[in-house]
Amino acid sequence: MDPVYDHLVTVLADKFEVDAEEIRPDSTLGALELDSLAVVELYVTLQEHWGVPLDEDGATAELTLEQVAQAVSAQLTVEGVADRGGAPQ
Amino acid sequence: MSVPGDDAGLAVTGIGLVTPAGSGTAATWQGVCAGRGTAAPDPELAGLPVGFSCRVPDFDPRAQVPGPRPWQHDRCTQFALAAAHEAVTDAGLDPAARDAARVAVVLGSAAGGVGTYEEQFRKLTDGGPRAVSPLTLPAFLPNMAAGQLALALGARGPVLHTATACASGAAAVALAALLLSAGACDVAVAGGADAMVTPLCATAFARMGALSRRHGSPARASRPFDVDRDGFVLGEGAGVLVLERAADAVARRAPVRARLAGYGMAADAHHPVAPDPEGRGLRLATQEALRSAGATPADVAHVNAHGTSTPLNDRTEAATLDRFFGAAAPSVTSTKGVLGHTMGAAGAIEAALTALTVQHRTVPPTANFHHPDPDAPVVDLVTGRPRPQSVPLALSNSLGFGGHCTVLAFRPAP
Repeated sequence: MDPVYDHLVTVLADKFEVDAEEIRPDSTLGALELDSLAVVELYVTLQEHWGVPLDEDGATAELTLEQVAQAVSAQLTVEGVADRGGAPQ
Repeated sequence: MSVPGDDAGLAVTGIGLVTPAGSGTAATWQGVCAGRGTAAPDPELAGLPVGFSCRVPDFDPRAQVPGPRPWQHDRCTQFALAAAHEAVTDAGLDPAARDAARVAVVLGSAAGGVGTYEEQFRKLTDGGPRAVSPLTLPAFLPNMAAGQLALALGARGPVLHTATACASGAAAVALAALLLSAGACDVAVAGGADAMVTPLCATAFARMGALSRRHGSPARASRPFDVDRDGFVLGEGAGVLVLERAADAVARRAPVRARLAGYGMAADAHHPVAPDPEGRGLRLATQEALRSAGATPADVAHVNAHGTSTPLNDRTEAATLDRFFGAAAPSVTSTKGVLGHTMGAAGAIEAALTALTVQHRTVPPTANFHHPDPDAPVVDLVTGRPRPQSVPLALSNSLGFGGHCTVLAFRPAP
């Protein structure tokens, strides 16, 4: 399993209190009832956990969970964190 | 408001409480009647000058806070929403069935979402701008408890925030009464909330010398009017009352817990934080509460004192009570012995407890009182165990930094 996606699922369920049954890779953040501020809050949370900067300008409610996870993974690769086993801060 | 007839004055039709004695009116009433201090060591305050507090135990926002996304609120707003939900349910009120424009919300808070503010400022200094939550301001701004409650209730009448430090919750109840008396609304959901048990607030109060340092026995640290008191214990929570004109409550056959018979607001204009040694603000607020209730000092059977357990407040308040009431000597209690000082919530929580006192004809005791202070004598302080007492008229005192004084008067329901 992808640790980035798994962590995203955990954050959405625990912090953002999204119904676990609605969380799927193709769910959009908007469909999970995250408004624009909540989407940025999600990005702040992910940045803090993974220790990499994310493009907040691209943080919209239209993104799917898969796309969000890909954005994080791409940054982890750029920052070389993935080479260290994807260990979060 | 002067005639306590069946359809005159204001009715308290609902109460909701979230306090260090527990979530819910029943848990809180039971806790204050048991008369045991709730202060305990606080891991979040470890390493600071005072390491204990009165926390709301086992508060679960997900289970207790109605409405979507409770995680986005500061703890202060979470307390307010949970207490308001209980109060509105207690009142048997369906806000959605009311004319939204006639429903008011008035909530007091000394510091609003100060915990969010502290946390996000730390993130800014530690991690830079990108670490700061975009939800900081909606969580921090002190008015947001009232705003979020209006959103939760669908209330579109006057929605206001009062900030008069530790008198904030009482001022909110008084302002709600003014709105109802002026015809500006038909229902007012009013109270106070604070969540100031934070590292900065606790340290700042300690630096003022305001907090008890009784580290060896925190549960006995808050001891209002006791000769060995050495400061207050920082607490948190919320209290909310549903107020309606009595005629409206009668018309909808609402349960009435008590009557809000009068209210008085005044100020010391003496010192930024120290009480006036002459108690001028408290005396004026008491006089106005009694005038609006159509009562005299001799009518007052009971006073829920501000009684913080600081040397200065209790000495000044005791002297003011003694001068004002003289031989009439109403029974006096301070529920802060059990609950600590919940800041802006205190005035609303104590308003609710005073309403319950007249409803249940029972005065909760002042916890941890062992030896009277010759410099702060209270003629008839209720201590040890709850006292059965019929209370035709009771006052609740609230005083705050800034010299703010609010006194609320309660009568039993007819």
